[in-house]
Amino acid sequence: MSAADVRRGRLARHSLAVPVAILMFALFLLVPLLPGKFWTHVSTEVLILGLFAMSFNLLYGYMGQISFGHAAFFGVGAYASAMVFTRLKTEGGSIGMLDFFLSLAAGPPLAAVAALIVGFFCVRLTGIYFAMLSLAFGELLFYIVFSWYSFTKGDDGIQGLLPPLYFQDAVHFYYLTLAIVTLALLAMWRITESPFGYIMRTLRDNQRRAAFLGINVRLHMLINFVIAGSFAGLAGALWGPFSRSVNPGLLGWQESGVAVFMTLIGGAGSFVGPMLGSVIYTLLQAVVKMYTVYWPLTIGTIILLIVLFLPGGVLGLVEKRIKARRSGDGDAGSREA
Amino acid sequence: MDIGPYVLQLFSGLSRAMVLFLLSAGLSLIFGVMNILNFAHATLWLLSGYITFSIFQFLGEQFGASPWLLLPAILGATSLMALIGFALERFLIRRTYDRELPEQLLLTFALVLIVGDLIKLVWGVENRRINLGVEPVEMLDTLINPYHFVIVGSGVAVAAGLWFFLHRTRFGKIVRAAVYNRNIVSALVIRIPLIYGLVFAAGVGLAGFAGGVFLPLLPMALGVDHDVIVQCFAVVVIGGFGSMLGTFVAAIIVGVVYSFSILFWPDGALAMIFLIVIVVLIWRPWGLFGTELRY
Repeated sequence: MSAADVRRGRLARHSLAVPVAILMFALFLLVPLLPGKFWTHVSTEVLILGLFAMSFNLLYGYMGQISFGHAAFFGVGAYASAMVFTRLKTEGGSIGMLDFFLSLAAGPPLAAVAALIVGFFCVRLTGIYFAMLSLAFGELLFYIVFSWYSFTKGDDGIQGLLPPLYFQDAVHFYYLTLAIVTLALLAMWRITESPFGYIMRTLRDNQRRAAFLGINVRLHMLINFVIAGSFAGLAGALWGPFSRSVNPGLLGWQESGVAVFMTLIGGAGSFVGPMLGSVIYTLLQAVVKMYTVYWPLTIGTIILLIVLFLPGGVLGLVEKRIKARRSGDGDAGSREA
Repeated sequence: MDIGPYVLQLFSGLSRAMVLFLLSAGLSLIFGVMNILNFAHATLWLLSGYITFSIFQFLGEQFGASPWLLLPAILGATSLMALIGFALERFLIRRTYDRELPEQLLLTFALVLIVGDLIKLVWGVENRRINLGVEPVEMLDTLINPYHFVIVGSGVAVAAGLWFFLHRTRFGKIVRAAVYNRNIVSALVIRIPLIYGLVFAAGVGLAGFAGGVFLPLLPMALGVDHDVIVQCFAVVVIGGFGSMLGTFVAAIIVGVVYSFSILFWPDGALAMIFLIVIVVLIWRPWGLFGTELRY
């Protein structure tokens, strides 16, 4: 782990993760106090996509591999849950409370199975080849869902995923999402701080040395791939009842790109970085779309500026400032780091 | 047996293959020389299509419509794109050479969004197409748009020219040397930054040429670039990063498989392509014609 790694924001930052996480959780709790349902709705989206981005960061920030097909597991989770949902709901279109949770629970395991199959092949490669193979698998799954009309309803998608009456209220659904996402992130934190999590960091920094230490590199990468896929599947399962529908676009590479954006905006080197990225990205999108249809131009410019001037993301910058202040040499030190 | 539909699909497949080759050749060259995977390559291709359209229309208004005006239009768009490519390398890409792969990807990814939206801003959401008004010719039991021959011919000509350039000219040899080892090349007092700029310009220029040439066959539409870029990645991966011959063969495989799949399994055409990519990446990650060394 060299100074260059620190500059690129690829070290897990414990010092900031906990206070930022607690602060963000407190703010998330207060969101429904804002007038109107709009911000509650947007914040639900922030949480779901944030969970998705954080699952991606298990592969990127912790394992050092970039996946361009991660949305496939988000989509498989969404579709698995939506299909169970459609099977369980009554003629009138309503669904019982138990059946609703059952449909949510269907997402992660199915996504895990998909991740196991895809990961089995992907973990044999690294770097650009890992990215390309994950992209190819993602696109393959996308086109299967897109064209298998009798099974997935093709590009029509699946509509009418109306949650039980209690959760049709935006605030209730928001707190449900907040609870599920918080539990999922606590589990994720536990995993990343376990010996397994540190094996991931070892694999990121030097796979060959890890192998010399007796670590089964491919097996550990595969386990992490399946874990990341499951969390993405959970996020996908929440997406269905949130947007009341699912469509094949959820599996496409552009959706994978969203996870990459959020992670790099927030900072891949921090546990909560991708969630912060989701806050910035999703809120920005909600606001910008009120004023202009040229959202891609806006976010594209922002990403361009971040890549050029803010490597390591927002949290990376904050961390650097704090380090500089502690070492007492101000801005010069931050540039040095 | 009626071979008409097969002949038709073969030609449309070959045309598709030529466009994929022109794009992937630039993509592969840029990746080979400066290790940058240009996500925006197909978006720049799309931009060139729109530019060609506008030049064609402008010239038509000035001098009266004629299919031959396509030639200066393509030439103009290609040069313009090469200039844009040079500027992009000089002012944006160059700043990320010492960064890691994901950040470079993100930069070109941002360009996809920016350029795509700029096209929408300038040309609107309407599709653009040039109708040359050439009569289809009858051959082998079917009617074929003779323009297919133009595309296949120009694709093969560019491939041959590229081969000649890379293997028989001094500059081409420098480029190939840079693919193998940049440090040694720069130690020979060759200005690597200039090489980078020119290679990027050439790659984007090729994409620009492809955009113009393809215009009379398929309309340019917003969002097409998102599908095309992943197909180009497929071509580059199947052929092997950095291998021109591999890119050419892989482009033909992808183009022809695509158009024949449409005949038998219309919805699964693209799924077929990604299946091939997956098989190649698992079996030979360095591609059909790439060398294991670079893997």
